[in-house]
Parts: sequence; structure tokens; C-alpha cells
Amino acid sequence: MLFRKLMAALASIVAIVLLILVGFLAIYAWPAIRFNGLHFLVKNNWSLGFLYSDPILRHGQQVMPGAHYGILFLIAGTLLSTAIAVLLAVPIGVGAALFLAEGVPALLRPWLSFFIELLAAIPSVVYGLWGLVVVIPFLGHHVFPAMQKWLGFIPFFRGPAGSGYGLLTSGLVLTLMIVPLITATLRDALVSQQSHLRDAALALGASRYEALWTVQLPGVRRVLIGSSILATGRALGETMAVLMVSGNALNVMPNNIYTTISTMASFIVSQLDSALTDPTGMAVKSLAEVALVLCLISIVVNSLARVLLLYQDRMTFGVI
Amino acid sequence: MPNATRNPPETGGGIDFGAALPGASGNETAAGRERIAVRNLNFYYGSHQVLFEVQETVHEHEILALIGPSGCGKSTFLRCLNRMNDTIPGSRLEGEVALDGRNIYGPGVDVIALRRRVGMIFQRSNPFPFTIAANVAYGLKVNGLARRRSEFEAVIERSLRAAGLWDEVKDRLDKPALSLSGGQQQRLCIARALAVEPEILLMDEPASALDPITTTRIEELAIELKARYSIVIVTHNLQQAARISDRTSFFLMGRVVETDATRKLFTNPSRQETEDYITGRFG
Ligand SMILES: Nc1ncnc2c1ncn2[C@@H]1O[C@H](COP(=O)(O)OP(=O)(O)OP(=O)(O)O)[C@@H](O)[C@H]1O
Ligand SMILES: [Mg+2]
Repeated sequence: MLFRKLMAALASIVAIVLLILVGFLAIYAWPAIRFNGLHFLVKNNWSLGFLYSDPILRHGQQVMPGAHYGILFLIAGTLLSTAIAVLLAVPIGVGAALFLAEGVPALLRPWLSFFIELLAAIPSVVYGLWGLVVVIPFLGHHVFPAMQKWLGFIPFFRGPAGSGYGLLTSGLVLTLMIVPLITATLRDALVSQQSHLRDAALALGASRYEALWTVQLPGVRRVLIGSSILATGRALGETMAVLMVSGNALNVMPNNIYTTISTMASFIVSQLDSALTDPTGMAVKSLAEVALVLCLISIVVNSLARVLLLYQDRMTFGVI
Repeated sequence: MPNATRNPPETGGGIDFGAALPGASGNETAAGRERIAVRNLNFYYGSHQVLFEVQETVHEHEILALIGPSGCGKSTFLRCLNRMNDTIPGSRLEGEVALDGRNIYGPGVDVIALRRRVGMIFQRSNPFPFTIAANVAYGLKVNGLARRRSEFEAVIERSLRAAGLWDEVKDRLDKPALSLSGGQQQRLCIARALAVEPEILLMDEPASALDPITTTRIEELAIELKARYSIVIVTHNLQQAARISDRTSFFLMGRVVETDATRKLFTNPSRQETEDYITGRFG
């Protein structure tokens, strides 16, 4: 009884913290929300205005002359780089987890698993630096020109290929960051699933591979969905690594897979300094609005995944 | 199932089950054709030998019960009969297990086809996290035994009927299998095994986790199924072995102490160890 009450209290604390967080952010950003309106979400014109002239009054708010805040390009950069990362990381993570759980000699398994967990624990700034020093020159000099040449017939892959900084690089660095998350969680689930589902499948005439694919993996699909949500969240909110490889684009929509981008999280960090020089405070409040939008996107993504979890029990396995 | 018409039952099967409890073993003289013959079977987990020189036969239309204290190797032996032990790293087997005269551990044996012929029911019911219908259809699907929806539906109904589950689930075939009760889940596992039309059924303590009524249900089912299949059943429940089996094998520390007609073994065992065990002096 007491225990249940305690758990209920703890659970509601989590909810309350989230509400307080979003609530304060919203209150703080409220003048910016009023000032920017819908404009904020559909325009690509983030500009702090003439910071050395005097503030003027627009829409009942004190702002610098020429200030606009439109962040569509940030939303696009965030969603696209996250989408690339998740689309690549889920199959890679699943493959690696299956391999670790079933394909590796038992002696090697603990070592490989240890390395994967280590990869998941590396601070993101390390990934960013590595991306900057190693990945970008390699992609920029070798891979992107080749991709432009051979895959150029696909609309989004047409050039110019750029320098190596940009959307695809950000997506790849994010992929590297979230693959270990998915792999480690899924591997644990597969290993602790025990052998009874596999045995049942084998006894019915399934091959090892079929058992793995049709029974063992579906058996951990909740974990797969759950870890993919966490990974998506991490990719959406990743700051430093993306900041170092994205090229920090301002006010341009990505029009191919090589273009430089900015994401919401990295933009907040990179713009904070200059935004703080705005005497009206509207720039910082608009950055808070960016944070608010990021929060809302995360909440929407999580809710969609919840719905997916609700429906996954209906899984029917093919024909019947 | 085709087997049913080809091989009419020799005894009344489960029909007179309630009337004559030991009578289910009325088969003792009329043993059918030999299906499985195990010769000099030794089995090792790594360096740990678990089975020693096991000799055993399984005949058509009989229930062979395996009894013995915990850890004596019954499950291991059972799993040797459909090569389920192949998946255990470091395990090793010597000797021969012949199915219809052909060594299943010989070269060129198709293990997948073997497992389809020799089905298995596990101690812990282990339905897949799919719908009820998808569970039964699984074996058909991976083995490519059915294509059209109507074929699947026919087999699903037939198998669920054979497992005595049809009436309880026919209106909710598209519900998750895990929403069934424990006994229903175990019967679903039986239906799932029957769907691929095995010839021999291996049951490893199929009722040990179930209540008495469900246990009776599964015992009746085993006796019914005997008309079409050979059944090897591991059980800790000596009354169960006595009730349903035709012959019984007593395992002790990895060896077969004796195998005999069930009535004989339970009333007049040849070996002292068997008598000690069935009279409850140990184990
Ligand atoms: N996968 C395994 N790896 C190593 N040893 C095993 C394995 N499975 C079983 N054993 C060992 O083999 C011996 C026989 O086990 P087995 O499961 O066949 O006994 P059992 O007669 O079925 O027992 P129970 O009645 O408790 O089910 C035991 O000593 C057990 O510890
Ligand atoms: Mg056992």
C-alpha cells in the first residue's frame, strides 16, 4: 500500500518536473511567441537586427530594428539529420545485436559487448572531434564526389558535393553515436530472452536464421521500439557533435544531402553568445522558443512511438 | 490427418480412459512397428557425461513414459531424439539414434525435416508472442507447407480441434496467444506441433506446471493422439505415467535401469532400484 503510494508519488514527480520545465520555458519565451507568431516556424530569416541602434516597438514588443526570427531551416536540419541517423542506426544496431547475441563465439562475446557499451558511454564531443578530424576530410575528398557522380541521378544526391560538412556527415556521426545505444539494449534483451522461443521455433522445423528473424527478434520488439525512441531523442537533442560537423548553416534550407545545416540544439549553443548582446532580450527569448519547439518535437516523437507500442501486440506474422 | 486413415488405432485409445486407469497400457503385447531405435547412446555436455550407453525403442502407436529422479538425463535424452541438443555449444553425442532404420546423426541428414517429423512439446509452454492463429500457422509457414489462406485456415482449425482447444478459441483466433490461460497455452503449443503433421511427439513434462483438471485434459489428449502418433513423454508424476503410458523407462544417473510394459514395471519391476524409486524410497 505504502509502496504503491510511494511509486505513484515518484511517478507524478517525474510528470511534474516535465511540466514545470516546459511551463517555465513557455512563460519565458512567451513575448517571443507573441512577437514571432507563425512566422517563426515557416520562414528562414533568423536575424538579430541592428544591434547598435535603438530598440523600436513592434507588435507591442521592444525589439531591435530589422530583427526576424524564422527557424524553418533549423527544423528541417534537425529532422533530416535525425531521420538519416535513425534509418541507418536501427538496421545496423539490430544486425550488430543479433550478431553479438548469436553469431559470435562465446569467448569473444563479453569483450565485444564491453566495447559496445564503452562506445555508448563516450561523450559526444569526442564523436564530434573525431568527425571533424577524420570523417569530414575523408567524406569531402573521396566519398561525396563519388556519390555525386554515381548517385547523382537521385534528386537529393545531386551536387554540389561541398566540403564534407553538412547534412549527411551530421547524420553519419549521429548514427555512430546511437548505434551502440540500440545494440547494447537489444543485445541484453536477446540474451535474457532465454532459449525457449528459439527452441519452440527450431522444434517446428525453423532454421537458426528463421528462428532468429521470425521469433527471437519479434520477441524483443518492445525493446527495439523503446531503444529506438531513446536513440531518436538523443539524435534530436545532440548538440556538440553536430555543431562540429554540420557546417552551421544560417537561413538556408538543405536542398541536397551534402548541404550544410544547423540543428535546433546546436543552434541554441552557437547563437547564445550573440543573442545575449541583444538589449531587448528578444533574441534569447526566441532561442528559448527554439528550445520549446525542440521539446514539443521530442514529445510528439515519443507519443507516436507509444502508439506504435500499443499496436505491436496485434502483430500477426505474415499471412494469418 | 493422413496418418489417421493409414494406421487405424489398435486399442480404444482415450475413449475408455476413465474406466480403466492402468488399462491404457493394454497394449503391452501388441507393440506396433518399431519407429525409433536408440543404440549405445552416450551424451556429454562438455566433459560432463550425462547419458551412458542408453538403449531404447519407440514403437508405432505407443506412449513411452520416461521416469526418474531430477537431473538423471530424461530431458537430455528426449532432446537427442530430434537433435535439439545440436544447439547447445560444447555438447557431444556418441552412438546411434535411428528413425525408421536411418541414423538421424548420420551424414546428410536434413535436421529441419527431422524436426518436422519428430515434434516437441516443452515443459514450460512457450507460445510465440503472436496471435493464436499465427502460432499454429508458424510451422506451416517456415516450412512452406501452405500457401493460400484457406489452406492455413483448414490446418489451424484441424490442429486446434485435435488439441481440444478449438471451441475455446475459435472466436478469438486473432487475439494474442499470451492472453490465453496456462493450460490453454500448453494446448496451443500442442496444436502448433500437430500442425506440421509430425509422426512422433516428444513431450517434456507437458503438464507439470498445470492444475489437475488441465493435466487430465492433456493426458486424455495424449491418449487420443496415440492413435496417430508415437509419443515419448517425460513425467515426474508416476501416477501419470501409470495412467497413460504403454511402456515405461526408468532412468537413473544417465542410465536406463529398465524399460518394460508399464503395468509390469509398476507392479513387478525386475530391478531393485526401480522398486525403490516407484515405492518412493528415494527420488
Ligand atoms: N545445457 C546444459 N549444459 C550443461 N549441462 C546440462 C545442460 N542441460 C542439462 N545439463 C545437465 O545434465 C544433467 C541431466 O539434465 P536433464 O535436464 O536431462 O535432467 P532431467 O532428468 O530432465 O531432470 P528434470 O527431471 O529435473 O527435468 C544434469 O546434471 C544437468 O545439470
Ligand atoms: Mg527435464
